[in-house]
Amino acid sequence: MIQASGPPDRIAIVGAGIMGLFTAHHLARAGAGPITVVDRGWLSNGASGRNGGGVRQQWETRATVRLARESVETYRRFGREFGYNIWFRQGGYLFLAETETEQRHLAQVVSVVQSEGLDGRLVKPEEVPRYAPGLVTSGLLGGSYLRSDGTLYPFPALWALKEAIIQQGVDLRLGTDVTGVRVDAGRVTGLDTSAGVLPATIVVNAAGGWSRELSARAGLSVPNQATRHEILATEPVKPFLDPMVTRLRDGLYFSQTMRGEIVGGLSLAHPPGTQAGMLSSPAFLRAMARALVGILPSLRHLGVLRAWSGFYDDTPDGLPVIGEDPRLRGFVHANGFGGHGFMLAPAASRRVAQAVLQEKTDLDPGLFSVDRFLTPGTGRPVEGLQLG
Amino acid sequence: MDSPRPIPFTFRGGPESAEGGETLLQHLARKGLPTLQRSIRYHRPRAPFCGIGHCTNCLVRVNGEPNVRACRYAPHEGDAVTTSNAWPSPSHDLMGAVDFLFPRGLDTLHGFRRPAWATPWIQRVVRRLAGYAPVASTTAPTPSAESGPIDLDVLVVGAGPAGRQVSQRLAEGSQSVGLLDRGPISAPPPGVALFPSTTAVFLPPPRSGSERRFEAVALEDHDRGRLFRARTVVVASGAYDASLLFTGNDRPGIMTAEGALSMAPGDRAPPFHRALIVGGGARAAEMLDRFGAHVEAMAAPGAISPEVVRRASDLSIELYPRTLLLSALGRGRVRRARLLARGGGPEFSLSIDAIVLAHRRLPHNQLLFQAGAQMEWRGTAGSYFPVLGEGNQTTVPGLLAVGEVAGFADGVAAEASALVAADAILGREVPPAQERGPDAPNELEGYYRELLRRPDGWSKQVVCACEDVLLREVRESVARGYCGLEVVKRYTGLGTGLCQGRYCLPDTLLVLSILEERSPPQVGYIRQRPPVIPAPLSALAELPEPASEIPASGTP
Repeated sequence: MIQASGPPDRIAIVGAGIMGLFTAHHLARAGAGPITVVDRGWLSNGASGRNGGGVRQQWETRATVRLARESVETYRRFGREFGYNIWFRQGGYLFLAETETEQRHLAQVVSVVQSEGLDGRLVKPEEVPRYAPGLVTSGLLGGSYLRSDGTLYPFPALWALKEAIIQQGVDLRLGTDVTGVRVDAGRVTGLDTSAGVLPATIVVNAAGGWSRELSARAGLSVPNQATRHEILATEPVKPFLDPMVTRLRDGLYFSQTMRGEIVGGLSLAHPPGTQAGMLSSPAFLRAMARALVGILPSLRHLGVLRAWSGFYDDTPDGLPVIGEDPRLRGFVHANGFGGHGFMLAPAASRRVAQAVLQEKTDLDPGLFSVDRFLTPGTGRPVEGLQLG
Repeated sequence: MDSPRPIPFTFRGGPESAEGGETLLQHLARKGLPTLQRSIRYHRPRAPFCGIGHCTNCLVRVNGEPNVRACRYAPHEGDAVTTSNAWPSPSHDLMGAVDFLFPRGLDTLHGFRRPAWATPWIQRVVRRLAGYAPVASTTAPTPSAESGPIDLDVLVVGAGPAGRQVSQRLAEGSQSVGLLDRGPISAPPPGVALFPSTTAVFLPPPRSGSERRFEAVALEDHDRGRLFRARTVVVASGAYDASLLFTGNDRPGIMTAEGALSMAPGDRAPPFHRALIVGGGARAAEMLDRFGAHVEAMAAPGAISPEVVRRASDLSIELYPRTLLLSALGRGRVRRARLLARGGGPEFSLSIDAIVLAHRRLPHNQLLFQAGAQMEWRGTAGSYFPVLGEGNQTTVPGLLAVGEVAGFADGVAAEASALVAADAILGREVPPAQERGPDAPNELEGYYRELLRRPDGWSKQVVCACEDVLLREVRESVARGYCGLEVVKRYTGLGTGLCQGRYCLPDTLLVLSILEERSPPQVGYIRQRPPVIPAPLSALAELPEPASEIPASGTP
């Protein structure tokens, strides 16, 4: 892609979420370009402005733990580097297990986490109230906890990156819809957009929940699937809860923000696809209220202030897709993060930028390349800890 | 008011005795305007503002339970009521020093980033300031009071004249009709199932397919969840009195017309003696009729109607039409208002002890937005109204709107709109949809244009009182290129508080249209996220099982 001779690549990044913005930032810093970031909505309209702000390093796959650890380091420095305070608060992540299988799962996670030098540990049911006062422990077999996991405010991270890339000379086009991907002789030549043709030799698909649609516009079939997830926030109360709490059984997760609100969601079976739009449902409000009142009865009089929804970009094995698509030169994936894009973006986007620049990355292509879905094979690793 | 038996309870540790049926706010207002609350960020003193359960100015703790609104709560025997977020008391709060020390506000977006080692400590301190009160300490199990869904032909939301009218005609047409209202239902129409003290909080678009129907989530007595199912929904949710932007607009003593009425039920005297009424229309006239002896002056952003002029001159009340309200002054409670004739003129000040906002009414249109009805901007009213077809049907089949929320402000027109809607539902012939008259910019647009030309000054202009967001922050957002109401909301945090943006978004929309130099509909609006008012988790938890999936047709 970056060739010894010839004109520099024209890079078009589709999606101005955390992944697209971070990727643009890394590329601009490396002197690549010209770079254009295109998004159909306004800044923060997609999942990057709709998530619960969780950042964790507890994963089953070692490679993901490493990406997450690097991302945590970036977020710790973020405010001093980018000028906006994202209030990254390392209050820990507490996973809860109710069955032997779930318990074994967490033991596996903790052993990977510890072998990567992180302070993860298994927690006995009686220790749980120390981390989450008032939490009902009956039915719990145990949990896992990592102190340096945490939560942040997503919005300022977007504002900061937007301002950084504009300063770096990146062309940001919001409110611009991509209607087609132009292909010639097996390689990308540009994008058709609602504001005309945008020539490009590299297209980065960082479209989140809409990545499947964008790949399809380039004639590429991918197994990514958008799933709608709902979330709610309560009235603020004085701080009492430090960690993000996550339950394996139903994907319940919640934390208390800097402003004092309880923010969280849980997994409900929704039909895949983006057609339904980003709507809330009475079914979610009921299920989430039941789960919260059940696990923390002291919350029961607390009012729900607002509920909203967004799209996860899920893959069959729970791992993201990073790197150039072998079927189409110049088409680079940065998607499939399954609701964990924000927490992995700082590190993952560096690998995306390396892929664009055709530099060697430290990622195992067997884990992250789209190839893994194109060739039949068994026994490949799966990221089991997809919740929260 | 039906029972004169006094109800003993305690307020901040002292014994009190309330009249049966009166709210805590009504009880406290007998002794004058109470300061019950400090604001969340700057600990600014706040006294009751809206009187209808939306603003954050009268939150108290009842038996340890946080965030109970004094205007919606009637004390029970033995209740212990305390205040929160203030020490030693809401009128003398040590943390109020923050307000004086940071006259330009605190910049949490860019500040507090250094030094790195201090981050955990800074976060700990800042976090302490969050919230109004701790969660209740009780851990008693929630009683399972689940009840089945309530099935109806037609659900009517709001029991004002229009809502009652439509219910009555539908019941006469042998439809099963449910009529719900946040308050009591007076003059109940016969044959209609009544649901008083019930608020519809969430109306998603209807389920598609053969069994097409609406599912509406409601709260009864604020703490019991109800699920209504109906093929047709008529929204008759009415309107409320708007806020106004000026320096010190959050001071104790500044309230909406509804706020004043809520503190002075019946013919009781209001908690003020020399009020400035803002407005010059029908609502302002109502305020004169009700509180005339306690009114010092009237000022309006625009003209004052001849009707109001006549009544005011009978009471020898001074009138200031086309006047900018610059600021409200006073330590704690408002003592003076500074005004300026629009289009240039000398500044002058009035000695007052309250400002009653009666200058504009805004529609309770949240449910219509939620249900996906197409909404259109109407500049004259300064808000969004549903696009209506024949029979006052919205663009969502089965969803109708009548009365003030549909733009029929006048009482006669409101009742007529209800009859037309009922006829449409009953399949009778209805007149063709009315053509809207020509639109004009809202009179507040010019008003705010003049106000915004003035320098910010060193006093806080609070745009969003729930979250203490300042006008300065809105200006900064636009200056940095964060435009449009959705993005400004996320950049500044305005509209994310307990009132759900009712009192800040309509004015911010006008302000943004001036700062961004485009029309209000181009600035846009926010997606109305459910619920319409904060809904307790316990109430949502006891809802009967709703349909498992929401409809395929989404809102844009």
